[in-house]
Amino acid sequence: MHRTIAATLLVAMPVSVALAQGSSLDRVTSGTDFNPKISVIFDGVYYNDNVDGEGNELLGEVDGISHAHGHEGEHSHGHGSAGPGFNLRTTEITLSGSVDHLFEAFANIAVDSDGGVALEEAYFISRGLPAGLMVKGGKFLSDIGTINNQHPHQWDFVDQNLAYQSLIGEHGLQDTGLQLRWLPALDTYLEVGFEALQGEQDKLGTLADEDEIEADGVTGLDDRGDGPRLFTVFTKWSPDLGYSHTLRLGLFGAYATQHQEIHDDPAVHALEGDAWLAGTDWVYGYDAAGNYGQGDLKLQAEYLYAVKDLEVAYHEANAAAVGQTRELRQDGFYAQAVYGFAPRWDVAVRYDATGWTNEKTDGSDTLEDWDSSERGTLAVAFRPSHFSMIRLQAARSSLSVEGEREPVNQVFLQYQLSLGSHGAHTF
Amino acid sequence: MIRKMTLAVTLLCTVAMPVGAMAQLKVVATTTSMAMLAREVGGERVRVTALAPPDRDAHYLAAKPGMIRDLRRADLVVAVGADLEVGWLPAAIRNAANPAIQPGKPGYFEATGHVPLRDAGQAADRSQGDVHPAGNPHVQLDPIRMGRIAGVLADRLGQIDGGGQAAFRENAEAFAAHLARRVEEWQRMTRNAPGALLYHKDMDYLLERLGVPILGYVEPLPGVPPTARHIRSLVDRLQDRGNGVILHRSFDSVDAVRRLGDTLGWPATALPVDPPLGADRAAYVALLERYVDALQPQ
Repeated sequence: MHRTIAATLLVAMPVSVALAQGSSLDRVTSGTDFNPKISVIFDGVYYNDNVDGEGNELLGEVDGISHAHGHEGEHSHGHGSAGPGFNLRTTEITLSGSVDHLFEAFANIAVDSDGGVALEEAYFISRGLPAGLMVKGGKFLSDIGTINNQHPHQWDFVDQNLAYQSLIGEHGLQDTGLQLRWLPALDTYLEVGFEALQGEQDKLGTLADEDEIEADGVTGLDDRGDGPRLFTVFTKWSPDLGYSHTLRLGLFGAYATQHQEIHDDPAVHALEGDAWLAGTDWVYGYDAAGNYGQGDLKLQAEYLYAVKDLEVAYHEANAAAVGQTRELRQDGFYAQAVYGFAPRWDVAVRYDATGWTNEKTDGSDTLEDWDSSERGTLAVAFRPSHFSMIRLQAARSSLSVEGEREPVNQVFLQYQLSLGSHGAHTF
Repeated sequence: MIRKMTLAVTLLCTVAMPVGAMAQLKVVATTTSMAMLAREVGGERVRVTALAPPDRDAHYLAAKPGMIRDLRRADLVVAVGADLEVGWLPAAIRNAANPAIQPGKPGYFEATGHVPLRDAGQAADRSQGDVHPAGNPHVQLDPIRMGRIAGVLADRLGQIDGGGQAAFRENAEAFAAHLARRVEEWQRMTRNAPGALLYHKDMDYLLERLGVPILGYVEPLPGVPPTARHIRSLVDRLQDRGNGVILHRSFDSVDAVRRLGDTLGWPATALPVDPPLGADRAAYVALLERYVDALQPQ
């Protein structure tokens, strides 16, 4: 009966009445139901490996220009690290919404299993600038590359790829500063971005710790320069291939104006200079119009190349070395494919490597040439609904750690649950 | 250096700005139903593109670069609303750097905000499936609601393009009046229709309008794929009913539909829930006629 009344009312409503009502901007649901929108991501992993649970530590210590002498007291931490057995990974809390007609704001807070809190992102973006310009400011994940701005729950695997992990850091390039993006009004998608960031990084643009300088008695290092010390540029281009195929190609670079390192093996010495990184990212997606993702395919690859151009600023045992050049170069690569082989099921494969180029020179002669590390990963994920996921992942790595070859086999069983507002499906 | 670069970028933008490109209003619709509506109401004064073809499930799209490119240049976005596009449209709009189409601005239009919705005000409890607290967003197959939305859209278009105000109203009234006549005809034709088992809660607006009983849903919960147990319970409930029909979308799981059809001895028809790309009123009416046919088994 209820149905009949509603139907009658609607049919009876004259079109002219409806026309008269349309003058106001009626209620819209896009992002206005809750302000701020809140979501919580739960993430847990059962983990095991063949190296007494040390697999993730070893992955963080592979030979390369950031682990040349084994930094003491610096332990890899973060989302991917898991010990043998059950692990509660960081719980991500995201708040977002429109501030006013000019700004939207986002915050991402990561809480680890001990209650430790890290502010992953807290930024605003503009929504009112003309000519295709956008400004982002605050602390954010840089928009260079494809994976860099993704949070762990957006990854297609449990862990970060080796290229990013060894050259940028497990979280990606995450810093405080300003971004300017420009989208020209063209027939194909083109995006150009520029970022000026403070330069608080683990790998690219590291600065020596005051306490460490004092404790080691290091002299000759410049004072920490004023920020911003890290600059990035990126561009992404996507040709129009219709509704089923999407291709996006990108180029990016980052430059740190100041980079300092202190090493204490074999003798305390310090290096200072600058550092840069260049990369390219390629993504292809096929939308099969299938049932719950069946038949969808996504191929993705990125290549990174990093250079640290340094000079010896201090040497405890060999004062003559001061002023010598130390140029360090390392590259990294990953390629991955995700395929929806059944409704709500997908299978993902990844090959990632770091250190095909992996050397330290004094400007002309090679002083060190480290081996590369590589890994193959297979993951199967099942999504019971749009808001939950269970993933089984196995990886086999051949790592170079302190000159030794380390074969590492790992297995992960992961769940991820999303509570609250609907997350964004980005390409 | 930064200041110089900013200046250079600003200069570049100024040069790249299109001059006098206001000939036709650029309307970007999320689905082909909304595109059809914009085309009918806007007529010659608009150029319409759709962000997704009718064979995709509009719940599960991703914010792709091509969408962002279209939104970058849009004067008006015509969305379905009621959270149908919540997974991708806000992200695409956010990245499109176009102040005119931000929600709350005249350049952002949601169809479902202007008609009463089925299942509105349900608890936002996802144990009940992918429910939309604002109500069921799939209004596009109800010709009467679409006629009403056409009227509101005409006013919105008139707000952006004042010169077309009268034409937009006229187009909307013609569209609504034509569909109202056809609905009466279809209601007569389906008077003795036996009822339909639907896959998803998206064809129910049309069945309600035609007065055809909805016998159940193949999905146990909205957005959750059919389970063996749910199929058995449907068969138990419906096997003594005599005749009926099953309607589903081309992208639904056909296994479950075929099993149900075979067991019940009912015809199953795959039908799109949106008209084809580039559709006008005639294509929309043709789609509704296919439904009317499918609802009356021979």
